[in-house]
Amino acid sequence: MPVDLDNSSTVSGDARSVSSTGNQNHNKPPKKKRNLPGMPDPKAEVIALSPKTLMATNRFVCEICNKGFQRDQNLQLHRRGHNLPWKLRQRSSKEVRKKVYVCPVSGCVHHDPARALGDLTGIKKHFCRKHGDKKYKCEKCSKKYAVQSDWKAHSKICGTKEYRCDCGTLFSRKDSFITHRAFCDVLAEETAMNHTHTNQLCPQTAVVLQPDLKSPASAAPLTPPPTSNEPAKISSPSVLPVESSSESPENNPLEVIMDEEPPRTIGFNVSDDHSRTPRTIGFNASDDHSSNNNKGVYAGLFASSTASPSLYASSTPPSTSLFAPSSSMEPISLCLSTNPSLFGRPTMAQDPPPHFLTPLSLPPPQPAMSATALLQKAAQMGSTGSGGSLLRGLGLVSSASSSSMELSSHDLGLGLLPCSSSGGSGGGSGGLKELMLGNSCVFGPKQTTLDFLGLGRAVGNGSSNPVGGLSALLTSIGGGGGMNVFGTAGEFSGKDIGRRSS
Amino acid sequence: MNKAMILNPTRPVWPGFSSSKSLCGDANCMEQLLLHCANAIESNDATLTQQTIWVINNLASSDGDSTQRLASSLLRALISRAATKSPAFSFLSVASASHETLHRFSVIELAAFVDLTPWHRFGFIAANAAILDAVKGYSSVHIVDLSLTHCMQIPTLIDSMATKLINKEQPPPLLKLTVVLSESPPPPLLGISYEELGLKLVSFAATRNVAMEFRIIYSSYSDGLSSLIEQLRLDPLVCNEALVVNCHMMLHYIPNDTLSYLSPSRSLFLKELRDLNPTMVTLIEEDADFTSSNFIARLRSLFNYMWIPYDTADTFLTCGSEQRQWYEADIGWRIDNVVAKEGAERVERLEPKSRWFERMREADFTGVGFGEAVAREVQTMLEEHAAGWGMKRDVDDSDDVERFVLTWKGHSVVFASAWVPMNRVDGCSHVEA
Repeated sequence: MPVDLDNSSTVSGDARSVSSTGNQNHNKPPKKKRNLPGMPDPKAEVIALSPKTLMATNRFVCEICNKGFQRDQNLQLHRRGHNLPWKLRQRSSKEVRKKVYVCPVSGCVHHDPARALGDLTGIKKHFCRKHGDKKYKCEKCSKKYAVQSDWKAHSKICGTKEYRCDCGTLFSRKDSFITHRAFCDVLAEETAMNHTHTNQLCPQTAVVLQPDLKSPASAAPLTPPPTSNEPAKISSPSVLPVESSSESPENNPLEVIMDEEPPRTIGFNVSDDHSRTPRTIGFNASDDHSSNNNKGVYAGLFASSTASPSLYASSTPPSTSLFAPSSSMEPISLCLSTNPSLFGRPTMAQDPPPHFLTPLSLPPPQPAMSATALLQKAAQMGSTGSGGSLLRGLGLVSSASSSSMELSSHDLGLGLLPCSSSGGSGGGSGGLKELMLGNSCVFGPKQTTLDFLGLGRAVGNGSSNPVGGLSALLTSIGGGGGMNVFGTAGEFSGKDIGRRSS
Repeated sequence: MNKAMILNPTRPVWPGFSSSKSLCGDANCMEQLLLHCANAIESNDATLTQQTIWVINNLASSDGDSTQRLASSLLRALISRAATKSPAFSFLSVASASHETLHRFSVIELAAFVDLTPWHRFGFIAANAAILDAVKGYSSVHIVDLSLTHCMQIPTLIDSMATKLINKEQPPPLLKLTVVLSESPPPPLLGISYEELGLKLVSFAATRNVAMEFRIIYSSYSDGLSSLIEQLRLDPLVCNEALVVNCHMMLHYIPNDTLSYLSPSRSLFLKELRDLNPTMVTLIEEDADFTSSNFIARLRSLFNYMWIPYDTADTFLTCGSEQRQWYEADIGWRIDNVVAKEGAERVERLEPKSRWFERMREADFTGVGFGEAVAREVQTMLEEHAAGWGMKRDVDDSDDVERFVLTWKGHSVVFASAWVPMNRVDGCSHVEA
């Protein structure tokens, strides 16, 4: 199993450590039309560029005149002009594998290789748009853009076509304007006034209410007078409801229409990395340094989460030891911590990046996932920190849960029952147990730090001994092969776990 | 991946780049959890149900990202299903109790609402173009509007009739609009009466010099709109009048064969429609399949489609905004209907495009393409929205007709199609413009 997964893997599963450094990504994709959105080629090679690479503009600089270029080949061509030796790399003779690119920001739609973009420019623009600074601002409407071409494209059309309703609302599109205008009261009142003056204009205009043939048993919300075939003229404006109060709020949604994207917090804090490890933003260092630099990058990232290891240290001892040597705490904190800067997901629910969901054409999900992988996935997912517990909101407080194992948070009150009837749920849901174990162990109360037992501050809440409870849970549920990791842990009531190594 | 990744600190752990074959995005994990929960419910396993609910509850959130919000809504629906299903789940009945009341939109709110995404406008543009083309030369146009959006398509239709169907000799045709009022319509709910709605439309038409009549018919989708059909049969035949039936995301509320104890009303309705000899029928529906009688399969379909509205919401509605709550409450209603309701109560029986087309052909209709101009109009409209929206132009193998499908990030969302009766017989001669 390939271990070097620092920056790339293929969608179909085999990995190759492509250095995604800028100066080696020289193979220009053959000139072709824009890729369609959707599923990339499953055999394509997935490339993950660092934020710096993606944001980089002109990193290849001519030493003579200091002109900057985005690509090495462009620089080399330029150097010819100075009569300098130039070196253009030939496109490799073997068949060029199609490359697809993912966004480095975890939690982003395009972070998932199945949602990779097939186009380098596309991923750069995406990264800029979604995770970048909005430096360009339209003068007319003050809309902000991160990508210059977007800004230019907008400026061309901004204010060119404007439809204004008499009520004051502005529209950029004719059909929304017309639809609004049809129902807008300001217009209706004017029309009504016109009607009283010019009745001859539309003699046939009528509202005809047809009584239905079988009157509905229950009262319809309306009770139309049976005016069969008697045209009723629209005359007095008093017939029409006045809804002026609803008009001003309408400006807001319409502004939202024009707004391309609400501002997003930048999850992956690029600038911090710069300050910490200036040379070692792992992905653009040269090949031989890459592994060291990656370590450096992550060390740098971990430094921002120094708080977490100490939290682990202070929780009950068995929990720390589950991840055996404490020197490896840092990567674990990477997996489990709620540190927003690592995962690009703000813990405060404040415009979280749009999350792309299961693509349709993926094979049906395999129930059997390794618990480790699930732990990590669940770690990402669970780092919400927001208080929107559905069940809490629904008032489900079944504190009288018959189970002895209150692993859940005190808020939730929905105790996790021991799977004593494991006979019933045995076979088919083996994968489920791993899923659940992975998730439930990691996330007790939502807001607190995720220590292994998932108890955090909820420990002291009168629940039965959580450690004992957890081991009982592990015992009764019975893990599958995925429990290997825990099996190697030393000090935890390992007797329970040790039994289960497959 | 596992051991090495966790224990060896020099190997950066980058979630999302699993070397295992199954790509696990968060959504995948969530989907699996939800399916496990569903399985537990179906097998009446109270313990497992409780456990899965607990886990999902920790991950889902009505304030989180789109996966979380979808999961939150699905979880709520699953709980509701379990609670009504069996006494084994009686502990959940507390949680399943309340349903949020759905917002009643004012017309102005609704008008703005339908333009927040191309979801509806896409169908409006395509259908209006086809209708306009079909009714050229008629002196009277009778439109039966069966639309989820309460006539939001009509103002633009009136406008195009006013501008494109006039010439020096003739004023624009008389427009007769028939709408159906059913007892418990699905969301979005309208806050005013249909009479008031009609009044507004008629006066708007007057401003464009279009004479208009408005008629409300009480009918029920659950019985295949039988009273509508009856009324249409009773309508006197008017010379040179075009009959157009515009079906915008409502036909799927007519039960189909998956609701076993009722006759296949959907196909029956279409055949009855054919018997009325309409000039055109436009059919716009969401391209998904919620008809499976296998609950797990249905849930999977639901998950694989409903992520779209939550995902698009992020592009146009700010988190926590009132509008987003309305929008997502409406989605939640639909999810609840597919998950927690059974029998006649489960009205959201979406069928895939191919099945609809089969029905139309069986009912003796033949497809009509939209043309380049419409394609351009749709594209222009899409450009004004978020970058993920697109359009597919699908040529159907069976009849070689090109139809349009609205896509979000490559996934099919809504399809638009236009149909005319095969071998149509004209009652009176009419002048082609």
